[in-house]
Amino acid sequence: MMDNILSIIIFLPLFMAIFLGLIRAEITLLKIGAMFSSIATLFLVAWTAFYFDPEGGMQFVENAPWIKNSGMSYFVGVDYLSLVILLLISLLMPPLYIYMYHENRKGYWYNMMLLQTGVTGAVLSLDLVLFYLFWETMLLPIFVMIGKYGNGLHQYNSMKIILMTILGSMSMLFSIMYIGYVYFNTVGTWSFALIDLSTLTFNAQTSIWLTAGFLLAFAIKIPLVGFHTWMAPAYGSSPTPAVVIMSAIMAKLGIYGIWRFGFGLFETTLVYYAPTIITLALIGLLYYAIRAITEDNLRKMFAYSSGSHLSLIALGLFLTNIYAWSGSLYLIAAHAFASAGIFIMIGLMYKRFKTVQISALGGIASKAPKFTFFFAFFALSIAGLPGTGGFVAELLIIIGAFKANFWIGVLTATTMLSAMLYIFWMLQRTLFGISNNDAHYEDLSIREIIMLLPLVILLLATGIMPSLFTPIFEPQLNASLQEIIRVIGDLK
Amino acid sequence: MMIQFLLALPMVIIVIGALTLMLLSQSKRFTLDRLNLIAVFFLVISLVVQLITMGDHKSTFLFTDLLGHSLILDDFASIFDLMFTVGAMLTLLINNDYFKSRSYFNGEYFALILFSVFGMMMLSHAHELVTAFIALEIASLSIYALVGYHKNNKVSSEAMMKYLVLGSMTGAFFILGTTLIYGAVGSTSLTEIATYVIINEHQDMSLLIIGSSFIMITIMFKIGAVPFHSWVVDVYHGAPYPLTMFMASTFKIAIFAIALRLYLVNFGPINSFWSELLQIMTILTLIGGSWLAINQKLVKRMLAGSSIVHSGYLLIAMSSLGLGSEMAAPAIMFYLIAYFLSSVGAFGILSFIASQSKRQMTYDDFKGFAQKRPYMALMMSIFMLSLAGFPSTIGFLGKFYIFTSAIESGQILLAGLGILIAFISVYYYFKLIAVMYFYTSDAPQKIFPVNISTIVIAIMALLVIWGGIGTSLIPFIPSPDGFIDIAKRTISSLI
Repeated sequence: MMDNILSIIIFLPLFMAIFLGLIRAEITLLKIGAMFSSIATLFLVAWTAFYFDPEGGMQFVENAPWIKNSGMSYFVGVDYLSLVILLLISLLMPPLYIYMYHENRKGYWYNMMLLQTGVTGAVLSLDLVLFYLFWETMLLPIFVMIGKYGNGLHQYNSMKIILMTILGSMSMLFSIMYIGYVYFNTVGTWSFALIDLSTLTFNAQTSIWLTAGFLLAFAIKIPLVGFHTWMAPAYGSSPTPAVVIMSAIMAKLGIYGIWRFGFGLFETTLVYYAPTIITLALIGLLYYAIRAITEDNLRKMFAYSSGSHLSLIALGLFLTNIYAWSGSLYLIAAHAFASAGIFIMIGLMYKRFKTVQISALGGIASKAPKFTFFFAFFALSIAGLPGTGGFVAELLIIIGAFKANFWIGVLTATTMLSAMLYIFWMLQRTLFGISNNDAHYEDLSIREIIMLLPLVILLLATGIMPSLFTPIFEPQLNASLQEIIRVIGDLK
Repeated sequence: MMIQFLLALPMVIIVIGALTLMLLSQSKRFTLDRLNLIAVFFLVISLVVQLITMGDHKSTFLFTDLLGHSLILDDFASIFDLMFTVGAMLTLLINNDYFKSRSYFNGEYFALILFSVFGMMMLSHAHELVTAFIALEIASLSIYALVGYHKNNKVSSEAMMKYLVLGSMTGAFFILGTTLIYGAVGSTSLTEIATYVIINEHQDMSLLIIGSSFIMITIMFKIGAVPFHSWVVDVYHGAPYPLTMFMASTFKIAIFAIALRLYLVNFGPINSFWSELLQIMTILTLIGGSWLAINQKLVKRMLAGSSIVHSGYLLIAMSSLGLGSEMAAPAIMFYLIAYFLSSVGAFGILSFIASQSKRQMTYDDFKGFAQKRPYMALMMSIFMLSLAGFPSTIGFLGKFYIFTSAIESGQILLAGLGILIAFISVYYYFKLIAVMYFYTSDAPQKIFPVNISTIVIAIMALLVIWGGIGTSLIPFIPSPDGFIDIAKRTISSLI
């Protein structure tokens, strides 16, 4: 069984969903089944992480032919990078299901299970066509969830997100097909496996176009500034579980894509793009922060804040030094927990007050102290409060930025300041002040506290004891970075 | 002689079936249900005979002492025969409810369907231009009559007139082309033409080229390539649902059967002549088709417009073929199978809904459909995803092969345009999914009706998914690999 552990992790939720759908499960059974699949997956992932060898490269590999005629294979494996995101996904699913405890619309549960399979598959695939398959299919549940259960202009916004992301995916598909054909032309057989394709070399012109194809897909997903028009409307009108997955996982997959496929296939060409992306990321840092300051809708505000942090991660990635890289990987995890927490809190807030407009809120602190504590904790950990994981990560990236260039460092450091600015101002207006709302201020229930505690503990653990987590990824991260620096050095 | 007869038996059975149905339809004792069953029965027998005799006969000419080299039997033709028979069978089975719900259907309908299947089969076997023309006309004339079957309906009659007049006119081009080729070669047999082309490869063959270009016009008209597309949307709209399904899936495949045979074998050495023309036509078809599909309010018309786009994808592969891509021909075959499965399914669901109500079926009529009929909506979504080329469906692999063949032949920009058009198509296909799922309806949920129509549609949906994700791990079940193998073998039997 343990040979196929990754396949089980990927497909358990899907098969659970199919099974429950076939027996037309009642809502209670559906909830139990979904919960079971998420907890079982969590255990399997924990098992994988436990037996994961930090020095060992790609592990738990499964490689089976899928469509032999064109060399597509079912090729999955896990290394330091995918392990981090895999852990995030499996850790976030159970709290989300607890959050959805009172949700009686069946489609919600089915979509969440399909979504888990989609994102897990995308993280673990090492074959480009397989990756593309999961990358596209994970959009469908999001599309349906926003369109069906969202609020505001949800039908329009869900069409917008699917069209924009598919535009990116199509350009990536083009690059994938081209690379596949070049491989066929040079080697004589078809293959889309990453290790095979990474042996290819292209001339500069071709390489620039092919990289652009991939980068467009990832830039839209992250989203870098300029490719972000879908973000705020989609976050604003999607239901809470969907928005948690979008900001905590799917946006990170854009970063993951650059990391895995960008640096895996075109490390030399990425140097060519690095100034552009660093500039975009720096603009993004400030632009998103300013938008967050001026935004009145809490969901949209944290959408912009999420964009700002993802720009920071992308920036760290393209600075290519060990501080920035460790920081980026660390921030992927820390920001996932913090943003999951804050979006869940916003969801709870909406349930209580039927609004997420800052101007309509106020005076929560005096009536619902526990709620206030958790809300403030997650908000502050987004801002990078010392003692939470975000602080460690942002500090690392800022150090890396100063190492690369003084002015980039200065600009990067402003994120922490601006984040403090919009977070504190928001907290002041929502939690304190006069309560101008007649709704009953119900405090957090035990169930809700149980759901939030793991996130709090993880954020504190990553903040106070980074040395507990870094050994998982440090050795390999360093090794792959050295490799890339060597290649770039050869170029110069 | 006996063996020869056995090989021709599938076609003969279809003709006998058609004649029998014509006679039986005069009797009051035979209801539509029974006649439909009889038609399917003949198709099944023909299918069984085809399966038995398949495989072990590479390029046999039928009745050489009687017909000369005008009918050939090879793997290529038998695969197409199989698709026509299955296509007709599916059309009849899926629309069983629809036939009963409309009073204007009667027995001749089934006879005409069988006649057109016979025409198509002959077309795929034709190895001589006049035979091909006659076969094409047998198929087309049956289709003309079927399009205008709803005599009292203005839209239907208009569609019939439009198709008949335009179709006959372009049919004349085929004959004109044949004459010119006869003038050059001195024969209309494809064998002779192929030899002539090879011998005179470096000499002036303008007469032959002009002649074959005229034949191309007919073919382009029948598949609805821009600028010969003006009939498509109206005719698809005016025709009854069963026929729209039959035309979009089966009849289009038949045209590609003759197009591939001519293009690959006979004009093989000179087909680079058309590549620029084909490229221009491909670009026009892709853009024009998308434009038509985006602007429609009726789902049926949208599918009609999108069928032009799918012809455009196939034309991409055709022009790659001319530029020497090896994968292009199997890609065309695979795409035909993929398009066949998904469009039959999509039209099948439309006709099923139409059999329950008299609605026109605009996008708006689909509001809340997922709530009313969750399974139907799921299957419709699967077919839409496949038509849009979303991964995990067979449509994705179809497009994948087409675009890689374009890249292989160096038509990078054409592949890029294809991708862009596929992106645009996401809009109008996803619009239907969005409408079905994003709106609530007051009507109570209906139970899934288990009858022959719905079961067949469900099987198609499963095949579409299986064709996209099926692995080569499970033997005996044809997966994408199997489909591609079939496609490759078919093409290799041609060359």
